[in-house]
Amino acid sequence: VTAEGKKPHWTTWRRFVQLSIAVFYIALPFANRAGFRAVDGTLAALKIGPVDLIEPAGALSTVLAGRHVTGALLAGVAPVLLLALMLGPVFCSWVCPWGLISEAIDRVRKHNSSGWKGEPWVVVRTVRILSLSAFLLGSIVLAMPLAAFLSAPRLVSALPLEAVYLRILSPVTGVLLLALLLFELFGPRRLWCRAVCPVGAFANFLRWRKTLSLRVDTRICACQNYSLCLANCAWGIDPRHMRPADGCTNCMRCIEVCPSEALTFGL
Amino acid sequence: VGDQAWRWWRNLLAPLPLRPPGARRESEFAALCLRCNRCIAACPYKSLKPGGWAQATAAGTPVCVPQEQPCYLCMLCPPACPTGALEPITDKHRVRMGRAEVNHNACYAFQRILCRTCVDECPLPEAMTQDGELHPIVTEKCVGCGICEKVCPAPEVAIRVRARGDQA
Repeated sequence: VTAEGKKPHWTTWRRFVQLSIAVFYIALPFANRAGFRAVDGTLAALKIGPVDLIEPAGALSTVLAGRHVTGALLAGVAPVLLLALMLGPVFCSWVCPWGLISEAIDRVRKHNSSGWKGEPWVVVRTVRILSLSAFLLGSIVLAMPLAAFLSAPRLVSALPLEAVYLRILSPVTGVLLLALLLFELFGPRRLWCRAVCPVGAFANFLRWRKTLSLRVDTRICACQNYSLCLANCAWGIDPRHMRPADGCTNCMRCIEVCPSEALTFGL
Repeated sequence: VGDQAWRWWRNLLAPLPLRPPGARRESEFAALCLRCNRCIAACPYKSLKPGGWAQATAAGTPVCVPQEQPCYLCMLCPPACPTGALEPITDKHRVRMGRAEVNHNACYAFQRILCRTCVDECPLPEAMTQDGELHPIVTEKCVGCGICEKVCPAPEVAIRVRARGDQA
């Protein structure tokens, strides 16, 4: 007995949100230049009216590099931290335009099978810890905010702004995005989003017991070896063996494809 | 396209650039700047652009290249900075981007040609004066906005702003 038809089409909604944000970031520099000032900035630091929204990993990186904190920075990070603590790393799956690009490239790339084959996510977890540590330590050693400098959402949202304002591609943004693109095309499958990206890694470590997260009822789960949830997960996670902070971004895809009611989301 | 390619390369090779008004000294600025581009978006004159790779650990931070577009000291960018890399000052007299220096060998006024373009165009009345021989003199009040560098009519630009760099 399946109730799939009654489940909300989370992925349709997610694509709608992702695409809207991507279009918004392409349109924003034109709007800004035409005098629209209610929203401005990139995904490193966005200002909506009087509200500042600052990406926490990049902010922490500047604090470590510059050893200086302003009240404005804390006020800008606070609402983002609060959202991440409540909703989990939804930024990666619902907001980040680079996530959309990465998912699209992953669709186009030829894989040995149509889905994931239960890659060892313990390795991914280790990479995530090492990578975030390297970004933060590197920020101190080089005295530059590495986590902000190499943040994919910052780069991809800065590109249209620089192109419209300066009528030229910035060599820094351009080269970094090209490198990311090559990593996405030829590197391990979606490894940037799953483990390396400091934005996602930091958000992953913010999970606590009150964060919105996937619940698995193993008594209902009927799948044996091959599971639709793992095969469809854009982050290569097996929900049945997932531990908290294992990289789930609450995209809700697994709930959609589960033939039973074994998967739910809850606080 | 050729002009753009040239500017692109020169951007790659530019040493110690001018920073936006309110910027902390060079080393602190590179560490605190989030590269969020809000100051660039705030500038109505398109005076700011992201710096190139030659700046090493400061790559991607905003720079002002006066000969392309100087700073008009409208003071809109300092409040846009979220991290304090630009201190939110609003008084243009407190800006310290650098200081202009006159190259006597290239300046018309030093070749007995009557020219006071830089003195006339300077936005801060006390920042530039002339001595008895009508030579332009840069005073301590100069904040380094670079308007003089932009307007200088000499074939080899005779007044250039030296960036403040790491001076306290």
